[in-house]
Amino acid sequence: MIELENISLALTGRTILDDVSLFIEKGTTSVILGPSGAGKSTILKVILGLLKPDKGSVIIEGRNIVDENGNDALDVRRKIGMVFQANALFDSLTVEQNAAYFLKESRNKTPREINTIVEEVLSFVNLSGTNKLYPDQLSGGMKKRLAIARALAVDPKIILFDEPTTGLDPINTKAVLNLIKSLKSRGTTSVIVTHILNDAIAIGDVLTVINDGKVTASGNLKDILNTKDQFIKDFFYEVFEDASFFVNNKKE
Amino acid sequence: MIKNNSIVSSFKKRLASLEDYTLLVVDILKNITSYKTSWSNTIQEMYSVGPQALLLIIIGGLFAGVILATEGGHNLVTFGAITVIGRTVTLGMIRELGPIIAGLLLASRTGAKNTSEIGAMQLSEQIDALRAFGLSPTKKLVIPRVVSALVMFLPLTLIADISGIIGGVFISHLTFHVDLAYLINSVMQCIKLKDLFVGCIKPVFFSFFISSISCYYGLSTSGGTTELGKKAINSVVMSSAVVLGLDVIFTKVIWEVL
Repeated sequence: MIELENISLALTGRTILDDVSLFIEKGTTSVILGPSGAGKSTILKVILGLLKPDKGSVIIEGRNIVDENGNDALDVRRKIGMVFQANALFDSLTVEQNAAYFLKESRNKTPREINTIVEEVLSFVNLSGTNKLYPDQLSGGMKKRLAIARALAVDPKIILFDEPTTGLDPINTKAVLNLIKSLKSRGTTSVIVTHILNDAIAIGDVLTVINDGKVTASGNLKDILNTKDQFIKDFFYEVFEDASFFVNNKKE
Repeated sequence: MIKNNSIVSSFKKRLASLEDYTLLVVDILKNITSYKTSWSNTIQEMYSVGPQALLLIIIGGLFAGVILATEGGHNLVTFGAITVIGRTVTLGMIRELGPIIAGLLLASRTGAKNTSEIGAMQLSEQIDALRAFGLSPTKKLVIPRVVSALVMFLPLTLIADISGIIGGVFISHLTFHVDLAYLINSVMQCIKLKDLFVGCIKPVFFSFFISSISCYYGLSTSGGTTELGKKAINSVVMSSAVVLGLDVIFTKVIWEVL
């Protein structure tokens, strides 16, 4: 479904991504994991077409979007929803206007259809009744859920999440993670970027660990923990120090 | 050597900024008619640029006219030429002070507003959200601001001219005891088509450059709030400098050509 082949990207003379290859299967929840500054968010921007790689290809539904200019890739791009780290909500618009924004822009729905979809997505993210509020009247968790609702409104095949639980309390973190999990039942492919191990383990079918712009390991949790890479051991140590599996690995 | 390198890199940076700004201007000119698709945004911007700036423009124009009449009047009295005070104030306001005062006030007000709004949207990833959905920030954010400035700057400049002339006429009457009817008559008699043309062409160019420069600075914001503050300052400084520079060029060229 999404394939990144040998992506390399340098910004202001600094290498951000170095020969990154990734394959994300349709309908899965894939987590890109790594420390801050590893290049995780850049991968999402490359998938979205916001950044053009210096080398490599990004194949979405069989089309290499790197070769296509903005308008040609528009139909592919509109199949992708994005939940930004800072939510990117339009603060001059109400909750319902935010949720409806991209639907209105796509200009293929009647106002009645738009209202129905908005009500449905707001209900899905548990924000019914907040239609007339503005983003600054919402809590952090509610803003995140609204950002998810806005992304869902255009019925995307793929949703990208940039650090979806950063700055949220444990209850809201759980609510957002459950919401991401529930997207699977809609057949949506989710790609989540995070540096929080517990979140990655809780929701990811496939984990990809990135460090210094390079893919260090990829697979399910067991595959990852079986790698001999020192960075992986150090990165996972905090969470798995009590697990006999990791202790054995560490003794090695 | 290190100093030379920093000068070269600073020069390269400025050159790159100029290139980016030129690309934005080309994008604006190519898509200027797209304001129709963002009509409600354009109307909102017009309200913000026009009626909301009205008081500032009236006060700015009035004070400019009063100062022009006071300074000019004292000098004219010395030469026994106080009777031309109405003509001096009128032509001074229409040709120079009106457009300059309106331009500078709007460079500060509208320029700072555009840069801080778009810059804040850039920092909170709202512009990335637009791009991610394939929407052009130029069409959605820049063009409504440019079109509203193009539409509103001319009437605002004319209002600044009129309030300046009214201020100048009253000060001339009260301070230099020039007959009010004579003053009004000399104001009406001295305005020529050329003066109106000069006074009306300037705000068109001022508005385009003020709005496009301020939007460019907003779009190029990165980092955090400190950077946004710097961008807002740079936007106002650059817009004001361009207003003054363009005014010099217009005055020189128009006096040479017309």
